[in-house]
Amino acid sequence: MSTTEERLAAEKRMKYERVGLDAVDDRLGSSGFIQKALDKIFPDHWSFMVGEIAMYCFVVLLITGVYLALYYVPSAADVVYHPTPGHGYMPLAGQHMSEAYQSVLNISFNVRAGLVMRQMHHWAAVVFMAAIAFHLCRIFFTGAFRRPRETNWVIGLLLLLSVMLEGFSGYSLPDDLLSGTGLRVVFSIVESIPFIGTWLAFDLWGSQFPGSSLIPRLFVVHEFLFPLAIIGLLTAHLMLIWRQKHTDFPGPGKTETNIRGSRLWPQYAIKSGALLMIIFGVLGALGGLFQINAIWLYGPYNPYTVSAGAQPDWYVGWLDGSVRLWPHWEFRSFGHEIANPFFPGVLVPGIVFTIMFAWPQIDRLIYKDHVAHNLLDRPRDKPFRTAVGVGALAFFTDLTFASGTDLLGNDLHMPFERLIEILQYGVFVAPLVAGAIAYKTCQALQRTDAHPIMKPVGGILIRTADGAYHTLGDEHGAHGDHDGHGHAVDDHDGNGHAAAHDDDGNGSADGNGHAAEEVDEPAAGAAISGPDPSGS
Amino acid sequence: MTRTLKLLRRVLRGPASRRRILAGPAAVMALGVAAFAFMAVTGTAAQGANAPVSTNASDIAAGEQLFAAHCQSCHGVNGVGGTNGSPELIDAGAAAADFYITTGRMPLNATNNQALRHHSYFNATQTRDLVAYIADLPAINSAHPLPRVGEEAFNPTSPGIPTVAPLCTGPGTPSGCVTLSDGQRYYSLNCAQCHQAAGAGGMLSKGDIVPSLHNASLTQVAEAMRVGPSPMPVFGTGQLSAKQVSAIAQYVQYLHNPNNRGGLGISHFGPIAEGFVGIVIGFGVLMLASRLIGNRG
Ligand code: HEC
Ligand code: HEC
Ligand code: HEM
Repeated sequence: MSTTEERLAAEKRMKYERVGLDAVDDRLGSSGFIQKALDKIFPDHWSFMVGEIAMYCFVVLLITGVYLALYYVPSAADVVYHPTPGHGYMPLAGQHMSEAYQSVLNISFNVRAGLVMRQMHHWAAVVFMAAIAFHLCRIFFTGAFRRPRETNWVIGLLLLLSVMLEGFSGYSLPDDLLSGTGLRVVFSIVESIPFIGTWLAFDLWGSQFPGSSLIPRLFVVHEFLFPLAIIGLLTAHLMLIWRQKHTDFPGPGKTETNIRGSRLWPQYAIKSGALLMIIFGVLGALGGLFQINAIWLYGPYNPYTVSAGAQPDWYVGWLDGSVRLWPHWEFRSFGHEIANPFFPGVLVPGIVFTIMFAWPQIDRLIYKDHVAHNLLDRPRDKPFRTAVGVGALAFFTDLTFASGTDLLGNDLHMPFERLIEILQYGVFVAPLVAGAIAYKTCQALQRTDAHPIMKPVGGILIRTADGAYHTLGDEHGAHGDHDGHGHAVDDHDGNGHAAAHDDDGNGSADGNGHAAEEVDEPAAGAAISGPDPSGS
Repeated sequence: MTRTLKLLRRVLRGPASRRRILAGPAAVMALGVAAFAFMAVTGTAAQGANAPVSTNASDIAAGEQLFAAHCQSCHGVNGVGGTNGSPELIDAGAAAADFYITTGRMPLNATNNQALRHHSYFNATQTRDLVAYIADLPAINSAHPLPRVGEEAFNPTSPGIPTVAPLCTGPGTPSGCVTLSDGQRYYSLNCAQCHQAAGAGGMLSKGDIVPSLHNASLTQVAEAMRVGPSPMPVFGTGQLSAKQVSAIAQYVQYLHNPNNRGGLGISHFGPIAEGFVGIVIGFGVLMLASRLIGNRG
């Protein structure tokens, strides 16, 4: 409930804001936009912040990356390493290595804060991809990609691809044993592309593998090409969100034409700022406490050495797994053989990404739904889509496990061949089983309307006209009555939304921290009544 | 060179018809091998000395008793080998005996198991006696020849227990010392493809496990190279000189506790382990944080 103090504080704050805006307006004449921007509404559901985890990881990557770029030397020239005790890594003293590898050893052992920067950079990349993957899942399972947001789905996938490639090019820069092994695999996959493969591989590398042109080229790719692509795509991504406004879960007072939540200024900015600081803290802690990619143990890359258990970073693991699981089939036609790595290394990811890019269209065909949506689906209400998503996750998990077969086999004391066989069947069986379970679970959840993981917190106590009390949260079997009680109920425990408000005593959804905004999206209103022109 | 010898022996022991056909080429090859051996012996620097093995008759007798009690059921009387797949031990040599006993690989429980490291079953004295006995088996068998039953030893040149040269630690270190840098180079060339760059271990085909190297002592590492505990290949004196073996053994010892700059060494297991930590600890904490922050209005 709002108190007098809170109201006074709000008035005071607005006074300051106005002074600030006036100052800007006097100079730029732009306070209209800024006022609007500061009042922009962000939904109060935690899963909406995961996209922001991704964004802030990118910020950390940029900052640490610039520091690393000051010391990294993008050169494959052969040098002899001469560390002095206390300044450098003695067990590699006197060895031949590339200048690039030497510079990364220097960053790790000689440059002040170099190693912690390197480790933060790598951890940020690992967490970045986790956040993107989770964010993608949220968008997928809640149907946030539906009209009018299909474009942003495509931009998002382009972001995902760019970040993956950026990560892989970064992993290849130190020129240690793992980098080189990864690049060797990629060289072969590129070579396997029918007709153009050999030319393409020689063009990219500038010579036979490993050559000396790739490292400087990768540096340009990692330092300029992909970061610029990511910044551009991210800008487009955020501008579209700005323009189209956020989606939100259905809930009390939430309709297709409004959006509820916190204003950008001050509530959301504070939330977001807090998250930013936590992310810097967590990545700093990871970088300082947990070793990542100890390149000095892998040693410099030589084409004639390799290490057991060589794997890519986790987000490329599924591609490595795909190559490991593909059977040794040969395809010959018209006297030409299509080299084996082409199928698992190019075709499989090609198909996977095509389906992902086309999903909004596929989804539209499946549900014959051509209308614009600003309210999200609950995953259980679209069992088929949820089943497809869970199946896809099972598919990726199976392939990622395949990338760790040597470690798994050693740990489980299980023959390598058996493990590969199990995972080969798993590629087909796991998605079907996981999808079927997800489908059934959705149906069951629809029936009980309980939250799948959280037990209902709080509840709403109703006093009826004749003086009887009952709680709406734990009313089993009375689901048919939801409308009778007003829809406030089913969504409060549906997404854990109201629970938080009740906990912190902030009052009802109309408390002063909240605001509502009209969605000025013409499509939204119009499309509900009329059929979509592109429909069949 | 040992491989060549091994091949030669196998060829010479083949059926009579094959033997006749191969006699000519074998003679030529024998000449070549002799020449090669001569060059190898005279061409390389001084070989490292082997550690002394007891030749004391009472030790050998004690070893014989232990052998009869714990090993004979599989390896046969006088180590002629068993029909259950246990190899003959006559040519196994002191290094094999010491390695298999001190790493607890022998006595084995069942012959179809891969012999892997366990707690050593014998104390230092018993080990000395058994090693003395097995090192004496060629003499025992030439005195009382019995037909050999088991497969031949992994390295039939009966390698002795190698000694490992010390690390060069600064100006004043003894000549013949080795460097970690050489060890790293030879290790990544010869061992990392199976044992992983940081010695974490891995997997071969048909369910054979490549163990981690974090429990092997200096001597055991050197022995392993010379013996080649199947399915690991033998690294004979033609492949790795005594100095190179010492350098590798010292580097493996260093890997027990390597420079762990940068925190907890999960990266010894590679990017999969790192990804796990990044997702569970890093992303997990951030999810919790956004869960706590996110739902507040
Ligand atoms: C259950 C049967 C069994 C018993 C008991 C047994 N061994 Fe073995 N031993 C084997 C087998 C099988 C191998 C081959 C191991 C491998 O494949 O790694 C072997 C290998 C060896 C080798 C290596 C041979 C080579 O060529 O390098 C030595 C040495 C050895 N055993 C010594 C012993 C000693 C000493 C004992 C008694 C303390 C013993 N074994 C008890 C079955 C046995
Ligand atoms: C072809 C793969 C392969 C290569 C190459 C290889 N090893 Fe091994 N190594 C193995 C296997 C498999 C075992 C387990 C043997 C057994 O079952 O007894 C092993 C066992 C060992 C052991 C015993 C470990 C213990 O704690 O019991 C040591 C020490 C060792 N190897 C050192 C080396 C060194 C040093 C090199 C390089 C010169 C090397 N290995 C090269 C496969 C390999
Ligand atoms: C570089 C990686 C990415 C960053 C930094 C990022 C960032 C963001 C942010 C901050 C938001 C707003 C908050 C939110 O709704 O969660 C958002 C929304 C969105 N993202 Fe991403 N994202 C990335 C990748 C992706 C990917 C891979 C996809 C899907 C394939 C995607 C699809 C979307 C969509 C459709 C929206 C609008 C959803 C809505 O309004 O509810 N994004 N993104």
